[in-house]
Amino acid sequence: MINVDSVHKSYDLGETSVHALRGVTFSIEKGEFVSIMGPSGSGKSTLMNIIGCLDTPSEGTYFLNQRNVGQLDEEQLAGIRNKEIGFIFQQFHLLPRSTALENVALPLKYASVQRTEQLSRAEEVLNKVGLSDRLSHKPTELSGGEQQRVAIARALVNSPSILFADEPTGNLDSKTGSEVLEIFKELNEKGQTIVVITHERDIAKQSHRTITIKDGEIESDSMN
Amino acid sequence: MIIEESVNSALDSIKTNLLRSLLTALAIIIGTAAVIAMVGIGTGAQQAIEDSISSLGAKTVSVFPGQKKKRGIRSSWVALWLNDAEALSKDSEIAWRISPEMHGNKQVKFGDKNANFSVNGVQPNFFSVNSFILTKGKLFSENDNFSRKRVAVLGNAVQEELKIPEEMLLNKEIQIGGISFKVIGFLGEKGSGGWENTDEKIYIPMMTASTRVYGRKWINTVRIQIPEGTSINKAMMSIERVLRREHDIGPGEDNDFRIIDWSQIQQIQKDATAIFTTLIAGIAGISLLVGGIGVMNIMLVSVTERTKEIGLRKALGATPRAILFQFIIEAIILCMIGGIIGALLGTFLYFLAASFSEQLPFVLPILAIFGSITFSACVGLFFGIWPAKRAARLDPAVALQYE
Repeated sequence: MINVDSVHKSYDLGETSVHALRGVTFSIEKGEFVSIMGPSGSGKSTLMNIIGCLDTPSEGTYFLNQRNVGQLDEEQLAGIRNKEIGFIFQQFHLLPRSTALENVALPLKYASVQRTEQLSRAEEVLNKVGLSDRLSHKPTELSGGEQQRVAIARALVNSPSILFADEPTGNLDSKTGSEVLEIFKELNEKGQTIVVITHERDIAKQSHRTITIKDGEIESDSMN
Repeated sequence: MIIEESVNSALDSIKTNLLRSLLTALAIIIGTAAVIAMVGIGTGAQQAIEDSISSLGAKTVSVFPGQKKKRGIRSSWVALWLNDAEALSKDSEIAWRISPEMHGNKQVKFGDKNANFSVNGVQPNFFSVNSFILTKGKLFSENDNFSRKRVAVLGNAVQEELKIPEEMLLNKEIQIGGISFKVIGFLGEKGSGGWENTDEKIYIPMMTASTRVYGRKWINTVRIQIPEGTSINKAMMSIERVLRREHDIGPGEDNDFRIIDWSQIQQIQKDATAIFTTLIAGIAGISLLVGGIGVMNIMLVSVTERTKEIGLRKALGATPRAILFQFIIEAIILCMIGGIIGALLGTFLYFLAASFSEQLPFVLPILAIFGSITFSACVGLFFGIWPAKRAARLDPAVALQYE
């Protein structure tokens, strides 16, 4: 499903350039629950951006569902992000003035789904994450855990083939954090491929496989 | 789908920053209001001038006294005489109608009321040449004129100014310059012709005016109505021929009278109004452009403020085109709100101006309203493109990290 082959990424900063990734190779199969771990500055965010199709590699190839991402243009990348990938962020990134329902329906708008279907599908996934009584609440009226569950619903609404979570529990207390992880486990049991980026070993341990990044290279790749 | 989302997001953003949005739209509001008010007042003024043309009758020229010119030096004024009017009447080349006028200001008294009015000596055909309508009583006849009867016909505003009802004046004696006249008729309202108000005048027979009131044979002006099918130029040449003969002007000498073509003067007035309107509309247009730059500025601020939101939308699958669209629509809506408020304000100002002025009619300037709202939308489109392009080009990975 995901095939990363000797991917390099460097950023040009005028006179010097920073090598965030120095030849990373791995693959992830359908149905896996993988965590990518590493300290800050290790290049894990850069890796996440690349496999999340938010950025393209400087060198090397990246295939997502047999498509060479490096050769796609902006519009095609947007299409992949919309249909193949679901993102969950540390800061939730909900639109502050829209209701939970509207926030969840947002990816469907960019997929040009009919309005009535947008709302029914958004409601359906909100039910799945246990927020059926919070549909018309705005983010400020929700707790941190509830906000992250809205974000999970938004990531799931277009039935993506892969779910990316970047420090999903970073802004939550440990109780709600483990609730979110429980949701991930349930989803994975139903066949959802999940990649979690984290710097906490406790969280990484709950996945099935951990890839550790250090200084832009893979330090270890092992099953838990 | 994307249009709906863009419109909602635009309205949302404008609502959230309401004060900022209104201040930004202010230049657009002022510009549009100025355009609507000026176009409204301009076309209203044009309408008034056109009305006064038709009230005069389409083709009239006036002859006024002029100065004798000898070897390039202007000397004394040369009067127009009743004889000149008669000579014009007798000339049979063109079937025109000649209406001489002799006027001056006289004190008019009725009982204890008195006021100063312009008292005009005219021939009986004056009323039809100038298309006056009689509302009460009768007009004077040729017979009244020849027998120098002391009868008077009052313009529409005279009785109002004297503050005496028509019934009390009709067939009663009034004092004009100390001479007793019988009021025999009242004229309908004609309105101001732009240079004089024919409603504020008293009309008496020409011969009466000449012998009893003013005691002179020179006249102030001759108005000539030219029949349909005869060009004004041809008629003016005929007038020149007759008057040069009457005034004994040799070949090569200049006219000692002036012929004024009213339609030409009105055309000049119309042109001047049009130029004035265009000028103001142009200034207003510049204000719209300045407003557009303000909108561009605020859109750039908005794009920067919402970098994270743009990053998120892109991560969720918004194409660069969808983002471009969203911000262009926001700029267009911002400008159109300004345009609509401005159009309402401008129409209101024009309405106020029209209700304070007797001469200015109120005609809803629909074309200008739609035109300027459309134009402000175009301003939004034009000045929204650059900020929207910046938003569309943002790198989603960088935008998401933006603090």
